[in-house]
Amino acid sequence: MKLKRNTILTFIALLVIVVLLFFAEKSLNPYYRRILNLCAIYSIFSVTFNLIFGYTGQFSLGHAGFAAIGAYVAALLTLSPAQKAVNFFLKPIISPLANVELPFLLALIVGGLITAILSMLIAWPALRLHGDYLAIATLGFSEIIRSLMVNMQSLTNGALGLKGIPGYTNLFWSWGCLAVCVFIIKRLVDSSYGRAISAVRDDEVAAEALGVNLFKHKMMAFGVSSFFVGVAGGLMANLISTIDPKVFLFTLTYQIVGVTVMGGMGSLTGSVISASLYTIFLEALRPLESQFTIGSLTVPGIPGMRMVIFSVLLLLVILFSRKGLMGNNEFSWDGLFRLFNRLRSKKGDGSTGGDEA
Amino acid sequence: MLFKRILNVGFALIMISAVLLGCSPAAEEPGEIEEIQEVVIGVYEPMTGAQAAGGVQTMQGVDLAYAQKDEVLGVPVRMVLVDNRGDKAESATAMTRLIEQENAIAVVGSYGSSNSMAGGEVSEAAGVPVMGCSPTNPLVTEGKEYYFRACFIDPFQGRVMAKYATEQGIEKVAIIQNISQDYSVGLAAFFKQSWIDLTGSEEGIVSETSYQDGDQDFTAQLSDIGDAQAIFAPGYYGDAALLMKQAREMGFTGLFMGTDAWEAPELVDIAGDAAEGAVFSSHYSAEAATTPASAPFVEAFQAEYGEAPSAMAALGYDAYMLVIDAIERAGSFDRDDIRDAMAATENFEGVTGYITINETGDAVKDAVVLEVRDGAFKYLSTVSP
Repeated sequence: MKLKRNTILTFIALLVIVVLLFFAEKSLNPYYRRILNLCAIYSIFSVTFNLIFGYTGQFSLGHAGFAAIGAYVAALLTLSPAQKAVNFFLKPIISPLANVELPFLLALIVGGLITAILSMLIAWPALRLHGDYLAIATLGFSEIIRSLMVNMQSLTNGALGLKGIPGYTNLFWSWGCLAVCVFIIKRLVDSSYGRAISAVRDDEVAAEALGVNLFKHKMMAFGVSSFFVGVAGGLMANLISTIDPKVFLFTLTYQIVGVTVMGGMGSLTGSVISASLYTIFLEALRPLESQFTIGSLTVPGIPGMRMVIFSVLLLLVILFSRKGLMGNNEFSWDGLFRLFNRLRSKKGDGSTGGDEA
Repeated sequence: MLFKRILNVGFALIMISAVLLGCSPAAEEPGEIEEIQEVVIGVYEPMTGAQAAGGVQTMQGVDLAYAQKDEVLGVPVRMVLVDNRGDKAESATAMTRLIEQENAIAVVGSYGSSNSMAGGEVSEAAGVPVMGCSPTNPLVTEGKEYYFRACFIDPFQGRVMAKYATEQGIEKVAIIQNISQDYSVGLAAFFKQSWIDLTGSEEGIVSETSYQDGDQDFTAQLSDIGDAQAIFAPGYYGDAALLMKQAREMGFTGLFMGTDAWEAPELVDIAGDAAEGAVFSSHYSAEAATTPASAPFVEAFQAEYGEAPSAMAALGYDAYMLVIDAIERAGSFDRDDIRDAMAATENFEGVTGYITINETGDAVKDAVVLEVRDGAFKYLSTVSP
């Protein structure tokens, strides 16, 4: 009975979201659409990082490099041959790639797969390391990927970057990919593999003693995570329609780490909420940078002001909610009802449960 | 615990209300019937982040131009500056914001070709004319109907330096490029192309080596240069200064040649005596006033900021004035009319020279060659296209 109510609610919510997306895509102005698209892309980055760090406990800092692979593969596969000729004006592109043009879905999948394969190749030696050492190794690999992209001019056009990538990414693509990503990762985390993964995070020795194959589970988490990072990279390339290796500097990884920690390690809901808030806030705080008036006080525009405010907000989150916005709770209908009930009875005994509307 | 909950919820509410507030001032559509109160000219520049120095310099010029000319066709201009943080995704968003939220009829920017390329895709789709101030990568205006620029492009700069080198009787040259900068890679390629065109063979180029962002040690590249009489190093001033120092220490006595990215006082600060005699091409020199507009500009700039204008500032000034000029010639605030007027710009009297926009949307204008002499940048010669 109860399960049924939740299923119906989920179904209705999904329907509402699809309808909302439809209207947003149809009638929202491009500025808001772009922000919503970026929300979804950053959400995928954050959710996938959560799988590696929050659930598996492997502190990998390779996200920017993996996103770069996905972005370049998707970009090279969707660019028209004519655009490629324009782009590669210094050194021609290697021959088989020059005339390839794939549909977007295929390009995204190929991008994701290549990212997954390459990242697992990297993870193979790197996952023998733990903690900070793994972080340093993956950060290094991520920079190596970027450096290779700068130097392989006939494949990536080097530092000149690619432009004129068709803008296929729309709200259905980005939010659709996010939905698939969250669904698969949620199912994975809830499965027996997920339990094993959490065991690896909590205590590797104990997990191994219980017969969990550490290497296999870590690799799996890495592979699934990188696949979606690659897809998100592809979405990003086709959204901003021009990429170069500098888009994927390690600062991108830090952004992702920050967003994920803010949302709560081990909470997919938290990742999505915090990634969306991050993206929206960067734009919503813009008016702070131009001249504005409060009463009789005129505040001159100071560029960079929104970053200051943003940092203060981040600090507040860290101070008052140390485990991130959501801790390790997920959104659930039961949690929502509990919250309502609690608010109604005004008891506020602070019992557990997913909240945050 | 309860306190914490309340704080959490309160915080979430603040966040949501801030988002709503930020979204609320909806862009007003310019009505046909009602009088136009103001026109918006958007500017997107990297005011924070790694490229902030260039963005801030450019804005000095744009601000000065705006202060001198805040009215067009009798309608007040409102200039809106949006920071793009030197980031591609953010540049695209910034451009969308200028067009959709601020309803800009034309846009100026941006420092950094990669930012301009991201913004250009958006403005092209929306049909908004943009005047670039200093993005020199040829790809910026390539295939774009609505993107123009006030500066010359890298191929021309490469040719200027190749021409200068051959005129000085240099027969052997080494190229050292920064492979992680699109700007540097492009210039090195164009310099080589022009060199081959001018001398008829590739023989004069003794070596072509690369370094990366952040490299401090150039001895490996320098040990490859053999008997070159000159080094062409189209990188940023920081790299160039270190390179010159190390080359002199290694006994190189020839000529250093560079491009507009060398024009920063830090070049001399870091390189010291090693920089003496180095030459580079640039957009403009305060010494060689090329048009009647130059001298008053330099004066006004001195009065405002207490320093000589940099090339970026001069280009920012020109870019803004070019937009105003295009609107005046178009006689309307229609974006397409302004675009057509921009494309038809001919012999515009800019402070960096007479500017004509060619069929690809690039400015055709003179370049100057500067020399480091007694720790300062001295004007050497002017090269016409």
